[in-house]
Amino acid sequence: MSIEIQGVTKVFGDFKALDRIDLTVPSGELVALLGPSGSGKTTLLRVIAGLESADEGSILFDGEDATTRHVRERGVGFVFQHYALFRHMSVFENVAFGLRVRPRKLRPSREDIRERVMKLLKLVQLEHLGKRYPGQLSGGQRQRVALARALAVEPKVLLLDEPFGALDARVRQELRSWLRRLHDEIHVTSVFVTHDQEEALEVADRVVVMSGGRIEQIGTPEEVFHHPANEFVMHFLGNVNVFHGRVEGGKAVFGDVAVEHGETATATRSSEIEPLDDEAKPAKVFIRPHEWDIAVYRNGRPAMEAVVIHVNAAGPVVKVSLLSESGEPVHAELPLEHYRSLELRTGQRVFLSPRKVKVFFD
Amino acid sequence: MAGAAGHFGGTNKAGGRVGTRDPRWMRWGLTMVAVVFLAVMLILPLVIVFATAFSKGWAGFAAAIAESESWSAIKLTLLAAVVSVPLNLVFGVAAAWAISKFEFRGKNLLITVIDLPFSVSPIIAGMLFVLLFGAHGWLGPWLAARDIKIIFAVPGIVLATVFVTVPFVARELIPLMQAQGREEEEAALSLGASGWQAFFRVTIPNIKWGLIYGVILCNARALGEFGAVSVVSGHIQGVTNTMPLQIEILYNEYKFVPAFAMASLLVLMALLTLVVKHGIEWRAARSHAQTVDETVGVAATA
Repeated sequence: MSIEIQGVTKVFGDFKALDRIDLTVPSGELVALLGPSGSGKTTLLRVIAGLESADEGSILFDGEDATTRHVRERGVGFVFQHYALFRHMSVFENVAFGLRVRPRKLRPSREDIRERVMKLLKLVQLEHLGKRYPGQLSGGQRQRVALARALAVEPKVLLLDEPFGALDARVRQELRSWLRRLHDEIHVTSVFVTHDQEEALEVADRVVVMSGGRIEQIGTPEEVFHHPANEFVMHFLGNVNVFHGRVEGGKAVFGDVAVEHGETATATRSSEIEPLDDEAKPAKVFIRPHEWDIAVYRNGRPAMEAVVIHVNAAGPVVKVSLLSESGEPVHAELPLEHYRSLELRTGQRVFLSPRKVKVFFD
Repeated sequence: MAGAAGHFGGTNKAGGRVGTRDPRWMRWGLTMVAVVFLAVMLILPLVIVFATAFSKGWAGFAAAIAESESWSAIKLTLLAAVVSVPLNLVFGVAAAWAISKFEFRGKNLLITVIDLPFSVSPIIAGMLFVLLFGAHGWLGPWLAARDIKIIFAVPGIVLATVFVTVPFVARELIPLMQAQGREEEEAALSLGASGWQAFFRVTIPNIKWGLIYGVILCNARALGEFGAVSVVSGHIQGVTNTMPLQIEILYNEYKFVPAFAMASLLVLMALLTLVVKHGIEWRAARSHAQTVDETVGVAATA
């Protein structure tokens, strides 16, 4: 089922949690709502579910207006951040709940319920724990029970609020790829909320980056990572070095370095499209840590001089902290082999050339 | 991890912390003070109540209870409890539900008002009803014209009892339900449950122990209430006297055996209440501890 969100606004007191949101989720897609806390992502999810009502705008399910439909009739499966399992019911009863509360005419028989619950428990790999109580499960197991419970009512849309937020790093990683596989298997339209950019980029078909109740960018993980629409997205998706510079004659200039900025910079929300004349315009230049070339000798390329102050070589990617001539901290990342061939030492003077820059006008 | 914790607890139980142990005389001395205090202030009076009640044997005791005025006092007290406990149960659950699950104007005012019967003297509570429903009260003439008697009659006693017991159930449930939040109910609704289904299948089981505990306390107070009831009762023997009032009258008339016989009944009810309350606390604590224990166990093995 597709979801269309048209001009949805939600206000809590003086706080505008959602500001005229427009978003379409095509049927069968797995979409991540990504943003810092307070960006409105959870509120948007709850508005889709019907747990919160929109102050303005409408929600359409498969083209049909569902704005005023009660949560009970929306046919959504909702997985809560803290699972919200019924603590006095066994795992089996938790999963069976949605089937048992149906009106008598629509309720499956006892055997059917049993069969369906067991099938779901098998899907989430918990078939041996049906008699346990939620208090007796680990976080990852509870999360999977919550998912099975939501799937039991055969929702047309699956909504997950910070599904891995409360889990430790390893379980999180496992569940992430498991959720991706599960989605490929059952193909139900899914929306999940996260503040973890890595999670969003790894799991989702499409990522919706939000901040301050607005959508900053919508795109595939690749699009939002490599072609961020504005400064916020650039900052939010991974580390980045920022230099105050200018754009002059089609080149980005910062410090002593002037480089072609390959793609035409898209304007930030507040400014105009880049003018084509040669007049210098102040701009911010963004360079990702992995997009530096580090050279020990000057090699004719436009480069910035810097001194190595710290090296963290634990892992396949080596993280190098440097200090530029003008005293700005710079972060760079390079593959371990390359780092070894360079024989970098703390205190060494090196030359940094950006392979790729991204420019946003002030 | 679990093993280490167990070991630590074991040492503790065996009294292994020699360095922080108090000297023998102090431990014995403090224990003795506590025991003597308990004996004099609690156990001795209880013994006296029963001793006096049975000072003329079983027959004397039975005769005192069987007297029609005493018997009607017992019935009236039970009636007041039977009416006020269910009323407060419904009100308490509704109030706690509204306060903990919804945001609305005047919420703090409602919480304060619920506490009112705790903070005013029961005498004042009784006076309120006299001023409202009494012969010279606001509604007195209107009620008199319709021949409805509230003050110095059974309805007044029930009203006063309901008033003083209002906070018990609600007070017990509000913090519990606030701590539990709304998510489980929201989950139930999103799974297709109706409001009533969510309430009976999810909310009620979650607050079960708190609810029972509140009812027990409410019941204990309803049985023992003296002040407020005393004001509205008028002390008509055999008609508007509850057990505590009847005990006072008997005592003032130097009828010690009947007075203490009634008192022993109230004490028995109170003891029974305490036993039930303790049992419930023990069960609730055990089911909680079990859950936590197993959670820790699972987390440790995971």
